[in-house]
Amino acid sequence: MNHADSTRVQEYIGDPVSESPVVDYETLEEVFEDIQKDIRFDHELNGCLNCGICTATCPAAHYYDFSPREIVQLLWTENLEGIYDAMQEKIWACAQCYTCAARCPFGNSPGGLVMIMRETAIKHGMESAKEVLRPFSRVMLKLITTGNQLAPNMITPDHFPDWGPNISRVDAPLPLLRKAIPMPTMNTMDTAWEVNLKTSVELYTIWEETGVLDQLETMDENLFDVIEDIIDEKREELEEWEEEQEEEDDD
Amino acid sequence: MATSSNGSGDSGNNVPGERFTGHGNEWRDSNLSPEQAQLATAWVETKVDKRAMLTNKERVDDVRDIMWELEKDGEIVVQRVTDEHEPVMVKTLYGWDKKVPTNRLWHHKSCGQCGNIPGYPSSVLWLMNQMNLSYLDETDQTSCTAWNYHGSGIGNVESLAAVFLRNFHQAYVSAKARGLPENYFYPLVHCGTSFGNYKEIRGYLLHSAELRERVKKILGKLGRLIDGKLLIPEEIVHYSEWLHVVRDRIKDMQQIDVSGVRATIHPACHVYKMVPEDAVYDDDVLGGNRVAVSTSVMDALGAQVIDYRTWYDCCGFGFRHIISEREFTRSFSMDRKIKVAVEEAQADVMIGHDTGCITTLDKNQWIGKAAGKNYELAVMADCQFAAIACGAHPFKIAQLHWHASPVQDLMGKIGIDWDKAKAEFESYLKDVEAGKVETLYDPKLMITSGPGFQQ
Repeated sequence: MNHADSTRVQEYIGDPVSESPVVDYETLEEVFEDIQKDIRFDHELNGCLNCGICTATCPAAHYYDFSPREIVQLLWTENLEGIYDAMQEKIWACAQCYTCAARCPFGNSPGGLVMIMRETAIKHGMESAKEVLRPFSRVMLKLITTGNQLAPNMITPDHFPDWGPNISRVDAPLPLLRKAIPMPTMNTMDTAWEVNLKTSVELYTIWEETGVLDQLETMDENLFDVIEDIIDEKREELEEWEEEQEEEDDD
Repeated sequence: MATSSNGSGDSGNNVPGERFTGHGNEWRDSNLSPEQAQLATAWVETKVDKRAMLTNKERVDDVRDIMWELEKDGEIVVQRVTDEHEPVMVKTLYGWDKKVPTNRLWHHKSCGQCGNIPGYPSSVLWLMNQMNLSYLDETDQTSCTAWNYHGSGIGNVESLAAVFLRNFHQAYVSAKARGLPENYFYPLVHCGTSFGNYKEIRGYLLHSAELRERVKKILGKLGRLIDGKLLIPEEIVHYSEWLHVVRDRIKDMQQIDVSGVRATIHPACHVYKMVPEDAVYDDDVLGGNRVAVSTSVMDALGAQVIDYRTWYDCCGFGFRHIISEREFTRSFSMDRKIKVAVEEAQADVMIGHDTGCITTLDKNQWIGKAAGKNYELAVMADCQFAAIACGAHPFKIAQLHWHASPVQDLMGKIGIDWDKAKAEFESYLKDVEAGKVETLYDPKLMITSGPGFQQ
C-alpha cells in the first residue's frame, strides 16, 4: 500500500529528523505534563497489551483515522510527538460513547483520556480546538448564559434541513406548540425549560471559579465578550430584584 | 494477513495513493468470504452478547463504600434514599444492590428532551399522575452541562462536579418552599448523559480529597453546603430505572394491546457503559445479559422484544458529531442501527431511553434517502410507548408530532387513529390559544424561590 507523501507528524510537528522542529520539546513536555497531572489520568490509564478490543468496538474507528488503542498506547509509552499529533485532529473523532471503557480488560478509559486531551488542547489554545469549537458558538452562548444547552427556537428547518419536513407534524406556530406542552416549565422558546434567574447567576459563579470562562476567552475572544455582557446584565437584573424585595420587606 | 477466498492472496485494495482509514496504517483487508468472515467472528458475537463482556475486570470497587466512610469521618453528608421515597431494591452488573426511589421525586430535566422531544418528560409525569405519585418539576435547575463538555471540551471535572452538586442540593432543599422538610424529594435524572456523567463525577469526588476541597469552596460561596459539608447522593437514579421498577404497576394500567408490536431496544451508552457497575441487570430480562431497563417494560407490556446484532453499538450522536460532523451521525445511525433493525429484526419500533439517541435515530432517517438508504422505523422513548399503551393521548401527552420517524404507522398498528388524534390536538390548540391550557401540575409550584416565587 502506498502512503501519502508526508505524514501527519511531519505536517504538524515538523520532520522528526530535522534539527528545527516546528514544536519544541519543552512544549511537547508541557502538553504531556498537563495531561498527566489531571486527577483522572491514573484512573483512566492502567496498562495496555494492545489487544485492540477498544478499537474493534469503536464507532469512530469505522469512519475516521482514529483508534482508541493508539491513543492509549501513545500515552502509555509517553510518545510526546505522537500525543501532540493526535491532538491536532484524531482526538476530535471520538464519539464519547465509552464502549471502549466498558470493554477494556485493564479498566482503561480511552474515551476519558480523550477528554483530558481535549481539555489540554483548549488550555494550549490549539488551532484544532478552535476549529472544532467554531460551530459550537451558538450552543456555547446558550449554555453559558442560561444553563440550557438547547432551545426550541434553535431547532428550525433552517438550521436542520437534513431532518426533513417532519420536524413538526402539526402546522402551528412554535410558541403555540410550546404552550401546548403540559409541563409549565417547558412553555418556553429561548431555553429548553424556564431557568430561574437566581439559578443562572449561581451558574456564572461556577463558570468563573472553575476557569471555564478563561477557557472560552482562549478559544473565542468575541464570544467571551458577548457572554460577559450578558452575565453582567443578568447579575444586575437579579440585584435589582433583590433590592426591590428588601424594600418591600421594609415596608 | 488472511488470504482472500479465491486463494490469490491479492487483497485488491492496493490502489496507488490510497490510504486506509480507521484502523491504522498497518491494517489490511483480509478479503474473507462472507462464510469465512462469519466463522472468524462467531466467537466475538457469542462474547459480546454476554454480560461477561463487561465484568472481566480485576479491580472494581463500589464507591458507595468510600461514601459511607467519608460520612462517618465527618467529611460529607449523604443524601439518602429514605423509606418515604418508597424505594425498590434492584441488582446491578456485579449483583450489588441499588435503591430506586419510586415516590417524592424531583425531576432533573434534560435540555435535549425538553427542547426537542417534549413528550419524553411529559410522559413520565403523566404516568406518575396516574399512579398518584408526588413530584416536583421546578425552574431552579440547570443542565448537567455534560453534552457540551463531551462535545467541545469546554468545562472540566471541577465545573461538572459543582453543577452536579448544586442541582442535587437544590433537590434536597426544594420542598422547604412548601414548608416541607429537607430531602423530601429525591432527584430523578431524565437524561442518560447526565446520569452517566453524575455517576462518573461522584466517583472522582469520592476518590479525590483535592477535588472535594475545590468544589466545597465554590458551593460554600453559593450557600449550597449542608452543615458546612458537601452533600453527595447515595444513589444516582435514571428515570428508566424508575420505569423498570414500576413496570408491573404500568402493566396494571395498560389499556392497549401491543402484543403485535416488534420492538428493538437501543440501550444508551451513557446509561450502561459509563460507570457500568451501577447499571441495572435482572436475570429474568434477556437472561441477565443486557441492561434490564426498557426491555423489561416492553416485556411487561407484552410487546415482542426482538434482538439484533448491533444492539451494543452507539446511536452515532457523538456529542459534537450531531452538530458539526453530521455525515458520521447520519451514516452510523442508519447503517448500524436503523437498517439492521428494519432488515434483520423487521421491527416496528426502536425504543430508547436517552435524549441524544432518540434525537439521532428519529431525525436522521429522512436524509438517508439521499444516499439510497430507504429505511424507516418509528423511534420513541420507553416512557412514551408505556404512556400511550396506558391510554395517554399521542399528541397532548406523548407529543408525537415532534417526531420525524414514521410514528403514525406504529400508532395504526396498535389501533390508534392517527388522523383522529391529530384533529383532536388541533382542536385543543384552539383552546390553548384562548388560554385554556391543561397542565400536569399546578404551575405555581414550579418556582421555589427568586423572581416569580409565590408563597
